[in-house]
Amino acid sequence: MRARSSRQALLYLGVVLTCGVLLFPIYWLVVTALSPADSLHHLPPKFWPDVPQWGIFREIIEQRPIPLWLGNSILAALGSVGISMFVSVFAGYSLSRFRLRGGPSLGLFILTAKMLPATLLVIPLFGIFRQLGLIGSLWSIILAHATLIVPFSTWMLKGYFDTIPRELEQAAMVDGCSPLGAMFRVILPVATPGLAATALYGFVLSWSDYAYARTFLTNSQTNWTANLGITTMKGEYITNWNQISAAAVLVALPIIVIYLFLERYLVGGLTAGAEK
Amino acid sequence: MNQHHTIARPFTPRPAPARRRFGLDLARPSRRHWLGYLLLAPAVVLIALIIIYPLFVSVDMSFQNVGLVRLGAPRRPFTTINYERLFTSPEFWMACWVTFKLIVVVTISCFVLGVGTGLLVNNKFRGRAIARLFVALPWAVPEIVAVVIFAWIFDSSFGLMNWFFIKLGLVNTTINWFSDPTAAFAAVAVTMVWKGYPFVSIMTLAGLQSIPEDFYNAARVDGANAWQRFINITLPCLMPVLGVTMVLTILWVFRDFSIIYVLTGGGPLKATQTLSIMTYEQAFSFFKMGYASAVGVVTLILCVVASRLMVGRSTESIY
Repeated sequence: MRARSSRQALLYLGVVLTCGVLLFPIYWLVVTALSPADSLHHLPPKFWPDVPQWGIFREIIEQRPIPLWLGNSILAALGSVGISMFVSVFAGYSLSRFRLRGGPSLGLFILTAKMLPATLLVIPLFGIFRQLGLIGSLWSIILAHATLIVPFSTWMLKGYFDTIPRELEQAAMVDGCSPLGAMFRVILPVATPGLAATALYGFVLSWSDYAYARTFLTNSQTNWTANLGITTMKGEYITNWNQISAAAVLVALPIIVIYLFLERYLVGGLTAGAEK
Repeated sequence: MNQHHTIARPFTPRPAPARRRFGLDLARPSRRHWLGYLLLAPAVVLIALIIIYPLFVSVDMSFQNVGLVRLGAPRRPFTTINYERLFTSPEFWMACWVTFKLIVVVTISCFVLGVGTGLLVNNKFRGRAIARLFVALPWAVPEIVAVVIFAWIFDSSFGLMNWFFIKLGLVNTTINWFSDPTAAFAAVAVTMVWKGYPFVSIMTLAGLQSIPEDFYNAARVDGANAWQRFINITLPCLMPVLGVTMVLTILWVFRDFSIIYVLTGGGPLKATQTLSIMTYEQAFSFFKMGYASAVGVVTLILCVVASRLMVGRSTESIY
């Protein structure tokens, strides 16, 4: 009994230590955001500000077009996720349910597309978008982010559809549904958690992009995404760490909230393919 | 739907009235695959336009001696000069070496930390749901935010890392993290490990949970102790998942752009310039698009070859 409880205590110690070390950087970001600027230039560092400076958020919003940047990030993510989901739901369903000639090799190609370095694709896309006059427009990154999301979401959805028994559609078709009707009325409602997880993960991918935004949106501040905006707050000589930290908190917050509420679905979808 | 109806008519015998509502009778086994192709078509078109065509342009560009490309402009003559320059340039081999070093350091650290953490929170204890949520949290933090955090922690005057090192008596003067090559490499590696290890934990946990409890019960009956159970059951069952995770982690380090670019820009003295950074710099700082494409194409080939070597035929299960 004693051996067991000391083992349990050791376990707790390990967990607390691990969580503490791993979460500390996030904690430090928040503390930095809430500290007055002069106390940051001070050693030893203060691990909690005397008076948390909540006004920092108003300050950076007044000084920088942060709401606009966040809005652009949201628009870009919604646009690219919308396009990607539209094509991926159909494609994932098709790859899961039909044995098509060329299907497996297309699937394999989509996998390879996931391996493409963004830094390679960004070069021709820059040329193409420039010719189309899309440089500087949010449409450029909506399309570019679709290159990140489509391969990923098609595979995630294929994996999810694979877990839904075929008997469901067959029963619906016996009852008089067309194959498409069976997909829309029976399978998609059942697959809602998978669809939501895929869409959210796509949202995270678009939200976190820096490479495409940095290349395609350079000319005008008003079209910047939040990620791009933040990096310009890092000064060459002096960086206001509390300001940039506060902005970083605003950028990370939506994703962290999504993660905390939907961890089970997100992680389930992500690992579904690997467990097979 | 109407359109399909007219196309389909010559081939279909009169559909039963109840089915007619849906136009083409795709439920018939002989027609079903049409629906399959139809559903796949939008994805194929989109991928062709935004991935395959650009990829083709890249490869084509890598065989031309071009700067800033205008797509409308006539094609430059075919040349292999970009590749010749590439393979004779010390910068390229340096970038290969940096990429390799980073992959080894980051992947090993991510695995040690990630598998350890996964095993730890797989134990039964109160609050483990919360603990699991927390240990994977850095995975949800955008890369740029991770960069902000670590750029501040590694700040040369008031950063926490310097204070910590001095406090521990490891150094007596502050380290200029981003102007010393070794220190900058370490800073990049630490940031990447922090951002990348939770993925390994998540996958390890998923792998652990798919091992049937019966295996352990049977082993206990046979008198295996904890260590033997770990070596003979846990590790072998975990191997396939870990293999896939390793490929994904390596590919991630291989391709990563934002962490390195924003943290160090590839410097100092190209100490953190990986192949990805080199590709981008050649293209958008020096506007040598042809040369940059050649670097990118080589990177891609390395990616594909490396991942095929590591997973062989089971590539399909990767994602």
